[in-house]
Amino acid sequence: MSASAAPDRDDARFARLPPWLRPRSSEDPGLGQLRLIETTVLVLVGLILLIATVNDLSRQATVNKRLVADLQTWRAYTGHNYHSVSIDQELLGSQTKREVVCGNTAPGAPKATTQICLVIWGPQVGGKRTIHGGWMLPPKAEDERALRYGCFGDEYVRSLCPG
Amino acid sequence: MSVAAQSLAQGPARIRAARWATALSAVCALVLVAATAEIVIDASAGHTPLVPKSPAIASWLSGLGAHLDYRIFLVAIILAGAAYLGLLAIARWAPEARLSTRATIALIGVLHLIVFVGPILISTDVFSYIAYARMGVEHGLNPYLHGPAAIKSDPVFAYVGHDWRRVATAYGPIYTLISYPLAPLGVVGALWGMKLMALLASLGTLVLIWRCARERGLDPALAALAVGVNPIYVIYGLGGAHNDLLMMLIMMFAVALSIRQPRSAGREAWAGGAIVMGALVKATVAALLPFMILSRRRLAPVLGALAALVLGAVIGYIAFGVHGIDVVAALNRDAAFVSTDSFATEIAHLFGKPGVFPIDHDLLKAALVVIVLHLMWRTWRGYDWVAASGWTLLAISVTSTWLLAWYILWPLPLAVISRDRRLLVATLAIQGLFILHQVSPLLVPVQ
Repeated sequence: MSASAAPDRDDARFARLPPWLRPRSSEDPGLGQLRLIETTVLVLVGLILLIATVNDLSRQATVNKRLVADLQTWRAYTGHNYHSVSIDQELLGSQTKREVVCGNTAPGAPKATTQICLVIWGPQVGGKRTIHGGWMLPPKAEDERALRYGCFGDEYVRSLCPG
Repeated sequence: MSVAAQSLAQGPARIRAARWATALSAVCALVLVAATAEIVIDASAGHTPLVPKSPAIASWLSGLGAHLDYRIFLVAIILAGAAYLGLLAIARWAPEARLSTRATIALIGVLHLIVFVGPILISTDVFSYIAYARMGVEHGLNPYLHGPAAIKSDPVFAYVGHDWRRVATAYGPIYTLISYPLAPLGVVGALWGMKLMALLASLGTLVLIWRCARERGLDPALAALAVGVNPIYVIYGLGGAHNDLLMMLIMMFAVALSIRQPRSAGREAWAGGAIVMGALVKATVAALLPFMILSRRRLAPVLGALAALVLGAVIGYIAFGVHGIDVVAALNRDAAFVSTDSFATEIAHLFGKPGVFPIDHDLLKAALVVIVLHLMWRTWRGYDWVAASGWTLLAISVTSTWLLAWYILWPLPLAVISRDRRLLVATLAIQGLFILHQVSPLLVPVQ
């Protein structure tokens, strides 16, 4: 059945409406321009989403590169090649690119032994970044201000410790 | 050269091309099976960031693979995605070389079986479903008032995701009641029950897709293939035993009733009722109702929906009190969540913002309203209501600040039976972008 401009039996109730407002059982064949506009909008939205996705992917890759450098820095400083090392990107602000990297000081399950946390920021040089200070945490403790001890480093890092 | 001579020359070339395309179809099917099996076997080796902590339900597979890490998973999912697109492309441009109907059904069956016998993949949601059921049945607690943290002594609590431990259920009362009979089976029994429910819901959805496609004069095997072997559907949806599959089953049941010829007021009333019942499983499916009503312009679906709403509200109220029927509160709460995979977050990053702000939530809601109004107007003027519903589900997932892989499955069953091919292209493009966004561990692995 071809698309008809005339209302069908069900649509007789709407006959008093102007033609452009009446319901239709099938689309007006002259809607090519509307479809073109819709398709154009869809393509543009698709392009924006593609650009946003690629941009985010590259942002994540940059962050990952930084985290790899942070892990290398922690391992080089402590002399432990542990894999269960945690990186907190939020503590000092997610936009600051300053991270707190914590890990065990002796072999064991994650957080099972005394932990050492390093505050790291700055540019990557030779796959590592600069340690600006740090603190110790007792075994099985989360990184809470009240539990930090043995703080070292610059004034800013010391201000993150109790007392 | 004469026409006859041309056909003689082209004949062998065409036969060779068809043979290559047939072989390529078989290779794509094998890649899909191999990639899915690789993910399931590696996931059976134990808990990783991609495999939630779970009771050992697939330990008989555990000696076969290594722990599933991001690199293996991403390579497997990308290969599966490429094979899936290859199958669709062959079916579209070389239909003589596509998988036969029997091979299509076999491929769907094999992929479903592989995932069914394996562990839970990617998400802890299924343990939340079990926890809510056990809260109601074993502990006498209302899951609409308490999070799983209220049953810390229950064996399922250890498996519930950290972020969800204090969150009351956001699912509809009908789903919560459906899950209740599984609670007394213990965690392992309930887990298998949930997996079986997801499997049956998926197979039921595919049967309904088949029927809808045939009803609309489309190729039913191709429609079932496009959904049933889709890697996000199989790995994320079925692999996580998500209740979205049950929602999609009810959605397709409603669509099948509504589009069946000849039209009947009775069937349309049932279809309207089914959509409301689906919304009482997971609210998203309610998005179909305005388009169905606008397209049908009959009282039947409205009356069916109202009857189901009254029935569902009474059942929900009796079972869970007023909180069980306050779907709006749950939706508002979930709408405030933000995930790193949402397109809203990606666009915020693109414009140099650290994340999504409250004003962005409002802008996204406004955009969604504009899209829905446009689609409602188009449906009123004769546009395919199934396609309009699919676009709406796609728009909901794209504008949501809380986007998970299984949310971009919602429009897929509608896309494969819609009269607007653009919907399927857009849905697959969004799925592709979602997977692309996951690949950063492949570029710079953090170890």
